[in-house]
Amino acid sequence: MLQPALVIGVSLLYILLLFLIASWSEKRQGAGRSVIANPHVYSLSIAVFATAWTYYGSVGKAATTGLDYLLIYLGPSLTAFSWWFVLRKTVRICRENNITSIADFIGSRYGKSQRLGGLVTLIAVMGIMPYIGLQLKAVSTSFEILCGRRHIAIPVPGMGELSVGTSAMAVGILALFAVLFGARRLSSTERHEGVVAAIALESMVKLCAFLAVGIYVTFFRFDGFQDIFDRMAMKFPEQLERLTTFGSPGRGSYSAIFSMLFISMGAIMLLPRQFHIMVIENADELHIRKAMWLFPAYLFLINLFVMPLALAGILVTGSANGADFFILSLPLKGGHPWLALLVFLGGFSAAAGMIMVESIAISTMLLDHLLMPVIVRISPRRWFPGLLLNLKRCGIVLVLVLGYLYQTIVTDFTLVDMGIISFVAVAQFAPAFMGALYWRRGNKAGALVGMTLGFILWFYTLLLPSLIQSGWWRTALLKEGLFGIPLLRPTALFGLNDFDPSTHAVFWSLLFNMGGYLIFSILMPQGEREREPAEKFVNVFKPREEESWERKRFSKPVTIIQFVNLMAKFVGEKQANSAIAAYLGDREIDENGRVSEFELPGLKRFIEKTLAGAVGAAAAGAIVESYLSDIGSRMESFYDVFRTVRTSLEESRESLYFRLRASEIMSRTLDLQIIIDDLLELIRTEFGFNLVLVRLATAGGVLKVRGFRGTDIREITQTDWVAEKGTYIGEAFLSNKIQFVNDMNHATRQASRDLLETAGVCSFAHIPIARQGESPIGILSVFSQEIVALFTEDFLKLLASLAGQLAQAVTIVFEMEARERERKGKEQALLENARVMRDMEIAKQIQRSLLPTVPPALPGMLIAGSCLPAAHVGGDYFDYFLRGDDTLDIVIADVSGHNVGAALIMAETRSVLRSHVQRSVPPGELLRLLNELLYEDLTRSELFISMFYVSYSFQTGSLRYSNAGHNRPLLLKQDAPWCTDLDTEGLILGVLPEVGFEEKSVLLEPGDILLLYTDGIIESQNSSGEFFGMERLCRTVQLRRDDTPDAIISALFEDLDEFLEDAPPNDDITLVALKLLET
Amino acid sequence: MWPRLKRLLLTRLRFRESWIVFFVFGVIMMNYPFISIFNKPARLFRIPILYLYLQIGWAVSIFIIWLFNKANNLADHDDAPEEGS
Repeated sequence: MLQPALVIGVSLLYILLLFLIASWSEKRQGAGRSVIANPHVYSLSIAVFATAWTYYGSVGKAATTGLDYLLIYLGPSLTAFSWWFVLRKTVRICRENNITSIADFIGSRYGKSQRLGGLVTLIAVMGIMPYIGLQLKAVSTSFEILCGRRHIAIPVPGMGELSVGTSAMAVGILALFAVLFGARRLSSTERHEGVVAAIALESMVKLCAFLAVGIYVTFFRFDGFQDIFDRMAMKFPEQLERLTTFGSPGRGSYSAIFSMLFISMGAIMLLPRQFHIMVIENADELHIRKAMWLFPAYLFLINLFVMPLALAGILVTGSANGADFFILSLPLKGGHPWLALLVFLGGFSAAAGMIMVESIAISTMLLDHLLMPVIVRISPRRWFPGLLLNLKRCGIVLVLVLGYLYQTIVTDFTLVDMGIISFVAVAQFAPAFMGALYWRRGNKAGALVGMTLGFILWFYTLLLPSLIQSGWWRTALLKEGLFGIPLLRPTALFGLNDFDPSTHAVFWSLLFNMGGYLIFSILMPQGEREREPAEKFVNVFKPREEESWERKRFSKPVTIIQFVNLMAKFVGEKQANSAIAAYLGDREIDENGRVSEFELPGLKRFIEKTLAGAVGAAAAGAIVESYLSDIGSRMESFYDVFRTVRTSLEESRESLYFRLRASEIMSRTLDLQIIIDDLLELIRTEFGFNLVLVRLATAGGVLKVRGFRGTDIREITQTDWVAEKGTYIGEAFLSNKIQFVNDMNHATRQASRDLLETAGVCSFAHIPIARQGESPIGILSVFSQEIVALFTEDFLKLLASLAGQLAQAVTIVFEMEARERERKGKEQALLENARVMRDMEIAKQIQRSLLPTVPPALPGMLIAGSCLPAAHVGGDYFDYFLRGDDTLDIVIADVSGHNVGAALIMAETRSVLRSHVQRSVPPGELLRLLNELLYEDLTRSELFISMFYVSYSFQTGSLRYSNAGHNRPLLLKQDAPWCTDLDTEGLILGVLPEVGFEEKSVLLEPGDILLLYTDGIIESQNSSGEFFGMERLCRTVQLRRDDTPDAIISALFEDLDEFLEDAPPNDDITLVALKLLET
Repeated sequence: MWPRLKRLLLTRLRFRESWIVFFVFGVIMMNYPFISIFNKPARLFRIPILYLYLQIGWAVSIFIIWLFNKANNLADHDDAPEEGS
């Protein structure tokens, strides 16, 4: 026996260590270096599964019923095979939905049902009570064995000594621990670092203690495993055979094996504390992988010495009495009290860990699912977060107190039996839980019915008998059945008495549970609210390609501030603000502090999710709903324009059919008016709008009505809008974004609102007519006078795609019209051109006719002249005048430019000249006269004339000549080897009004050749940029000096052709040649 | 020969089906009628045969899960460069 003071002292030191570890790891978490976020701590924390039941009870069970103790651990070990799928999926779902407990998990999956969550909580509380009682009983019994008493005397000043039960004291200490570290914050989705760290340490302690006592007994008290079995076989051969084989009727039967295996498989994840530790406290999905073999290995190790210890206990004490605490009594009997103390600490660890996590998990469930439904009815206040946190703390204490009460009432059962009652209770979650993960059709009705039936049967066949056996109820019920009907005996329901009590309870409760779940899930339809979570849960790993369309809207829009205020009342202002900031990110917010209508439901879901972290999903849903109804808004369905229910985001057949019709209309014709009218008619009839209208933008940016169908609302159809901000239509056109109002009562733009309200419109949309990536060319407007909430996101998308198609058609028509205009313009220009050409040709003919065709035939001389105009008409001119019998005048002139103007001036010059030549005027005087007469005309037309005038007298043979800025003619004297030019100076005509011209004369002799020319020939340029030049001109004349003037001119043209390589000359070329014949 | 076999084994273990097969296999091994093979009062190496069977079976199952884990880690390493490329 040990001194109680020593045991208590060591225990308190140990508890202090746990406190230190817990607060240290919380500090580490605060610094961002979590100690628990690693797979080893995760695996150790899952070992909270090994409670005092494992610690003490396994040996007890091994000593009394044999090997079936192993099954409770083999089951969880086997499920580890499925963790990578089942557990990981659950973890993912919980993380994505901010789920706080198993009750929340099941409640959320079946339409955020408060009732279902409440039922799960109720079952959990009822089911866990015996389990917690078991832990407390183990602590107090072990203390009793160690110290020989159950009570501790605490000296209280003035009152003498206060006697406190050890289990009551344990309740106090553990409650303090759980409150301190398990209810620090309201949000239950945050991990409890301190608790988990303490649990991991406790798991280490209990494993070490158990292995220590196992090694001590097996290898020091006895001589190894085989020695124990040998001795047992010698001393109690029958007992050994019974304990190491299955198949005896009752506990060891095959059916019992199966049911044990089954419920332990369920328990590993469905026990609220297991769910909490494995799912909610999981820091990383990858940790599951290591835990998959580490946790079974832990169980294997902690069970390794169970059988040897049990048999050793029997060998030492001679019977299996008090087998539950063999591991404590064996070292005590062997004279090793310190080892016994270590074992006690291990047992305390096992119990404490379980109680702490369980109470935290259950209190969260109590708060979220039993208290919240009441609390949400009260309108939220500022002090709510504090109240909720304190309620949670009270919940923890309450759970512990309930367990304490149970163990004081029910005293007869062994530890294992109390544990199994809990296991069977949580097994009732299994059908709804697995259905939640894998069966989309599983619904709320099924889960409710199944679980209720399972719970009732569990209560009736397992919990009630345990209470009756403790003398808490009439034993007659057990023997005679309810109402004295033997078929309703709790332990042999419907006469089934082949099974042991737990198998019997498992069989009936799960049969009804599963049956109810399956049958009601199939018979009853799934509620509207259940569909989305069902899809989200079952397909949590499926990448979501696109969010499905919103099918709900708010009848009255809610601002972000309103939502934040609501959140702040439950989670505190700071958290609410940081959460909303993270959510909004770069989302667009309009001038009224709202997100778009289609994003509101998403925001609502986010608010619910955030609240769910604090109060559970079902309560969060209820809070938001009741808040909405308070401010007069509610979620309502969109009007279904397609008149069909769609559950997926695939397009409905109606929508496809509609698009097809629209495409047909647009491809049928190129007449824009027909397209617009037909399309409008289609939209109007198909969707039942009162007015549909197309406006196209004019070049001035005015949106002009191009067509409408439906009621002729004159305010709308007769108005052309200038696109400007401030109206919905202007906004739609300028921003190229659809503008719509689902309910005129919530329209914000005053100008539009006044107009449309007069027109009785209750919802409308303006859809920009624009091709992808281009600016709009018009607006498609639809108006309804009857239906509110017409425009869903996908409906607007459909209309937008239609507007896009229309834009395509309009653009094509516009482009075709533009091409047509261009073609006509070109045609016109061509015609015009042809006409001009013809006129020019005529002008050319006329001009030609103005030049002398044949030179005068004169004795003693030959004359030739030729003009080659560059364009159709030219400005070159030459002429011969015979004056009297003895004088021949030759004139050559070049009007600047080669256009019609030049030609006209040339004609005028000719007329003037001809009217004056008959008078006997010398060349210089004639040029002066010409300049005087033509000056005005030339100045006005901005033209000039260069001219060379020669006058030859047959009698004297002298040639008198004057020059008005013209190229000097060449004279090749008969005996000269080279040409000379007739050098005389004079300004070109049309520069000054009064000019004098120099006149010179030269005597011509027979054989002399005179060549007059315009600059066209000498300035002709060939492709290499070379000018024809005077030298070539002169050389040709010289070479041909014996030819006739005609031949000389022809030769000159040939030379020019050769020089230009057959390219046309770029200026008029005129040549006049005169040759005196030798007599 | 051995490394190739090991690799093949590990790749096969990555399939989801393998997990289910082993799980079902484990359940069968621990139930009637399979368990009745070992459910005899005989002793092997002086240890009761059913006890030995369950303990060894358990250890083997843990080893297999460890192998699974290794296979998955291997898969991660194999996949990593593929994702990068």
